[in-house]
Amino acid sequence: MDKQYKIQVQDLHKSYGDNEVLKGISLNVKPNEVVCMIGPSGSGKSTFLRCLNKLEEPNRGHVYVDGYDIADKKTNIDLVRQNIGMVFQHFNLFPNMSVAENIMLAPVQLNKMSKEEARTAALHYLDIVGLKDKADVNPTTLSGGQKQRVAIARALAMKPDVMLFDEPTSALDPEMVGDVLEVMQALAKEGMTMVVVTHEMGFAKRVADRVVFFHDGVIKEQGTPEEIFDHPQQPDTKSFLDKVLNV
Amino acid sequence: MSKHWLRNMLMGLTVAVGIGVGLGHAQPVHAAEPTYTIGTVDSFEPFEIPNNKGTYTGKNPGIEIEMLQQIAKHEGFKYNLKVMSFDATLTALQAGQIDASMGGMSVTDERKATIDFTKSYYDSGVVMAVAQDGPIKSMKDLKGKTVAVKAGTSGAIYAKSIAKKYGFKLKYYKTDNTMWSDVQNGNSAATFDDEPVLRYGIRNGMKLKVITKAVDSQPVAMGVKKGQNQELLQKLNDGITWMEKTGRMQKLLDKYTKGSGTKTDGAAQRTIMGLLKANKGALWDGLVATLELTLVGAALALVFGVVLGVMGIADGKFFPWLSATIIYIFRGMPMIVLAFFIYIGMPSVIGHKVPLFTAGVLTLMLDEGAYVGAIVKGGFKAVDRGQWEAARSLGLPYGKALRKVIMPQGIKIMVPSLVNQFIITLKDTSILSAIGVMELTQTGTVIISRNMEGFKMWLIIGVIYIVIITLLTWLSNYVQRKLA
Ligand SMILES: Nc1ncnc2c1ncn2[C@@H]1O[C@H](COP(=O)(O)OP(=O)(O)OP(=O)(O)O)[C@@H](O)[C@H]1O
Ligand SMILES: [Mg+2]
Repeated sequence: MDKQYKIQVQDLHKSYGDNEVLKGISLNVKPNEVVCMIGPSGSGKSTFLRCLNKLEEPNRGHVYVDGYDIADKKTNIDLVRQNIGMVFQHFNLFPNMSVAENIMLAPVQLNKMSKEEARTAALHYLDIVGLKDKADVNPTTLSGGQKQRVAIARALAMKPDVMLFDEPTSALDPEMVGDVLEVMQALAKEGMTMVVVTHEMGFAKRVADRVVFFHDGVIKEQGTPEEIFDHPQQPDTKSFLDKVLNV
Repeated sequence: MSKHWLRNMLMGLTVAVGIGVGLGHAQPVHAAEPTYTIGTVDSFEPFEIPNNKGTYTGKNPGIEIEMLQQIAKHEGFKYNLKVMSFDATLTALQAGQIDASMGGMSVTDERKATIDFTKSYYDSGVVMAVAQDGPIKSMKDLKGKTVAVKAGTSGAIYAKSIAKKYGFKLKYYKTDNTMWSDVQNGNSAATFDDEPVLRYGIRNGMKLKVITKAVDSQPVAMGVKKGQNQELLQKLNDGITWMEKTGRMQKLLDKYTKGSGTKTDGAAQRTIMGLLKANKGALWDGLVATLELTLVGAALALVFGVVLGVMGIADGKFFPWLSATIIYIFRGMPMIVLAFFIYIGMPSVIGHKVPLFTAGVLTLMLDEGAYVGAIVKGGFKAVDRGQWEAARSLGLPYGKALRKVIMPQGIKIMVPSLVNQFIITLKDTSILSAIGVMELTQTGTVIISRNMEGFKMWLIIGVIYIVIITLLTWLSNYVQRKLA
């Protein structure tokens, strides 16, 4: 385990029954680094991402976050999760609360802020994602793009050092995608450590420090955006990129 | 982390139930005079004649009740009456729920094996009765027919002894009135019952006639569990002897077989309005008891159900398994069996009595709670998995995620089913009449055992249930609209 990494993954294996989905994955993420993960459907990208905050329990291998082994029973996973924000493909906003309450819930419940402070923070983060005027509406009345930006604000309110994104724009109408990507790009610029599963190759090219290509439960190839997109070495990488870039 | 929270909740519930049971047990401090619990039947005229509230505090409560009053005074002891069905008095006596039992009980050899009887004060024979205008003329006509008897009575024992010979089948009942009505309506061909009891019923309007001489004449006595409560047995025997010597016993018997004790309601009280008026106090008390049982039972069932529901969706294998098993057991068991188990069965295991109301409420809590548990579990499971993941990924611990995110959404899904279950709970309280809880249905049984007005009284009681359920449905619709 190496202290210089924000996230360190060693030889991670995960199976569902007989189906081995992750077949020994190792990956290190440095502070402030933006890692984009691409690859065909079913290659294990989501599963890998969910292992990083223990939404899935690996069968073998280690995941260290800020030096804590999250498989270790002595590690308080709730504390670790407070430092890792996660944004889902389907937003998962809480429909029983207003937009602002969605954002205030965790800081207040975890005694990070008083109600008033949390409200101020909520408005601040809503401002960042451009939705300050939506603070008191019910999230079900929002469009997909707005929902996803609220979800990002909700994660940011816990002031995490790492943000995980699982295809944050896949469920959105095309005209909504830009707003969300813009917010994410701004975050990256401010130095947030990010791991992003995405099918948005343009975003990966522009924002990623490193692109990781998943194939069939292993990391087939990784490198800078130029290396992966302009000079892919592996035939699988090439055929995948041919498919997605030529649509 | 999550387990702690669950354990605390479970412990809270255990303590709450424990306190409930414990409070029910608080007995008055022993005075100089000993206090006994005497079990008796919910009606067995002319031995036990309840007033329209189902208690024996009226002017003409029956031979045995008055006898006990006189003996207790003379012998210097106090007693609490516990009212139940006849066969329940026999099991309760063996379970130690009651110190002595009475209910026009015949002294038989079989019963002598487990009961020490007092001196007898009456001889009661079994007669056969048939519908007044029915086709049955003698026992020979019973071939292939069904005969109604009351479980555990000497009438039932006699009928069983001759059933093969005359080729009839037996059908068992809990109360005289239902049994007699069944004969009167022609569903059963005949009944065998104690002569004084049957004659009392006929005098009060049952359209039956007695067509045999009394047979199998047997002495009637009170009893204690064999080898137990010998002191009480002695007092009862002394009292009986004293009453016989002083002529009090004969006077008492005459009162109920010839005199004023046999009078019941007049014709004016037999219209629906008259019946309502005459019994309004009793019906009101029955209704209040029904509502009390419903509210307390449903509240506890809700707590129990939420615990089961939460266990059902917990991490790991053990708690979901436990929850599913508990739900399976209590949903699978008929509520009446559960009620008997708690009220009659448990005392012999835990070593002390279970108060009637506590037994009733406990039955409701477990039975309805199992249904509520299934509803709650289903409601939680119906909440999208992504809601859990979003809440947990923010760092909220299991319990907080459950309470702040999952529960509020699950409850919305559950409310219609919970309201429905609440109404079912109200109806299910009537099942508790089997152990003698004086709720609305049992009140009806008792009133009818006096006035024999089965049709009109059950109509009245049915309408009361419907009215209450209608009001509740309106109320719950209103609440649901508010919640939506
Ligand atoms: N909870 C689960 N139970 C069983 N199998 C699962 C489960 N979650 C994922 N899988 C399987 O694991 C494999 C990898 O799934 P995963 O969601 O990680 O792929 P992905 O790379 O994110 O694909 P996509 O681009 O379609 O999101 C798939 O074959 C999937 O069917
Ligand atoms: Mg995926």
